Amino acid sequence: MLMLKTLCLLFGLLLAFAVNAAELVVIVSARSAVTTLRTEQVAELFLAETARFPDGSEATAVDLMLGDPQRDEFYLKVARRTPALMKAYWTKRIFTGRGQPPRELPNSLAVRKLVAENPGMIGYVDRSALDASVRPVLVVH
Amino acid sequence: MLALPMFARAQENAGAPAVTFGGFGTIGAVHSGQRHADFTASPLTPAQAGYTRAWSMDVDSRLGAQLTLNADKQWSAVVQVVSERTVDGNFHPHVEWANVKYQATPDLSVRLGRIALPAFLAADYRKASYALPWVRPPVELYGSLPVSNSDGVDTSYRWNAAGIRNETQLLYGRTRVAITNESSAEARGVASISNVATRGDLSVRVTAMTAEIRTDLAQDFFGALGQFGSSGAALAAQYGLDAKRISAYSAGFNYDPGNWFLMGEAARVNARSMLGDRKAWYLSGGYRFGAFTPYLTYSSVGLNMAATSPGIPTAGLPPAMAAQAAMLNAELGRQLKMIGVQRSTSAGLRWDFASGYALKLQYDHVLPREGSQGTLINVQPGFQSGKSFGVYSAVVDFVF
Repeated sequence: MLMLKTLCLLFGLLLAFAVNAAELVVIVSARSAVTTLRTEQVAELFLAETARFPDGSEATAVDLMLGDPQRDEFYLKVARRTPALMKAYWTKRIFTGRGQPPRELPNSLAVRKLVAENPGMIGYVDRSALDASVRPVLVVH
Repeated sequence: MLALPMFARAQENAGAPAVTFGGFGTIGAVHSGQRHADFTASPLTPAQAGYTRAWSMDVDSRLGAQLTLNADKQWSAVVQVVSERTVDGNFHPHVEWANVKYQATPDLSVRLGRIALPAFLAADYRKASYALPWVRPPVELYGSLPVSNSDGVDTSYRWNAAGIRNETQLLYGRTRVAITNESSAEARGVASISNVATRGDLSVRVTAMTAEIRTDLAQDFFGALGQFGSSGAALAAQYGLDAKRISAYSAGFNYDPGNWFLMGEAARVNARSMLGDRKAWYLSGGYRFGAFTPYLTYSSVGLNMAATSPGIPTAGLPPAMAAQAAMLNAELGRQLKMIGVQRSTSAGLRWDFASGYALKLQYDHVLPREGSQGTLINVQPGFQSGKSFGVYSAVVDFVF
């Protein structure tokens, strides 16, 4: 019985951890007019395939650092690309003069701060970093 | 020195001017089973795999470096220098691109300077091999138009229609390429229109390009041909290289939902000369098992013209002139054989073994056809068209 309880607890913890780890949220400034975005729209912005939000206003994506596990998870889920495929993608873009990857910031808090201050920016953060200064526009699944 | 960090911070809000340095490269070795000719990735980077060397490092090896300056949101500049095998047989670096870009709006940009030619699907990043699934772009198609840049101006415009994202590029310029040690060719009035349409995981590129070729290559030969009356003049006009308008059309697609990819391309390149009127296509697919991507490619190039010419009629000519005409006819026939007709089937494996590094192994089963030398160069006595051979390649690609 105790064993079962421990197992349940362990499983619960594991589940909570898994859910927690998976909770990435795409954000814009609370002052932005953008309220919700689809996964493809977010992918296009982060892959620099478009530089505008669907409403036509200018958009600039900001990223976490190369090698950050949350960044890897974000691109795997949003753009279906592994880190190696993302590297190949940016190799194409950079060495054809078609663009530079988004600016990189060290963590969710830095992303939240910069996005909050700039209505034209879009970023993604851990759900725990959400506050009133930013608006979630997509939960990454 | 002390003022520097402050300067940097002050600029950060105004859209930070930033200099970025990056580069790419490939180190590879190639073995070709055809010992009577050399296998090369492109006629403009003549390599030595097969006849000259059992294992050749110069087919795919290359180093590129790129400096980008982003002055502000509108203005940027890029210089890319590439070192690869040249027609002189060395690896002297050349300026691949050097251009200034003005981003007028998020959707409209204009560039001035040396710019990549958008001839094919992967034409503008073909040298950054890390971005390619294969060891090299299929030689049958990419060898049909080996020129990779031009000096001039281009403009790109992004637009949406019916849920399809489009980027349309117009380019105008000129370029000069070294063909042999002594000869070069100039392409004037290079004009192209290219459109990339993307919807979901599918992207499709269509390109039309034209240019006028000026060259002193084989001038003596065509001069001699032209002296044989109206038939000689007609042959010189038909096959002459100088002052000819070359046109190229291509259409390609790439479907990549993440775990696998399928891409294909078809092109027609008509030089209206001894360089031929060719049609080429390939189809390639691969599946990604984690860091491993095995792939298969089928590729073909054929002619849209007769591969032989009756030449100058020798009947009725005085013996000395008939002998000279026969010699010229033989040379014309030999030149027409150089327009490659070829098929190849390739199997390869890409392994992304570390961030920014990929190891690729590839086997090509190559068949030069219809009496031609295919895409081979430096053909030696004893070479037989219609006999297939294997090409084994191992390369490491990197980006930084």
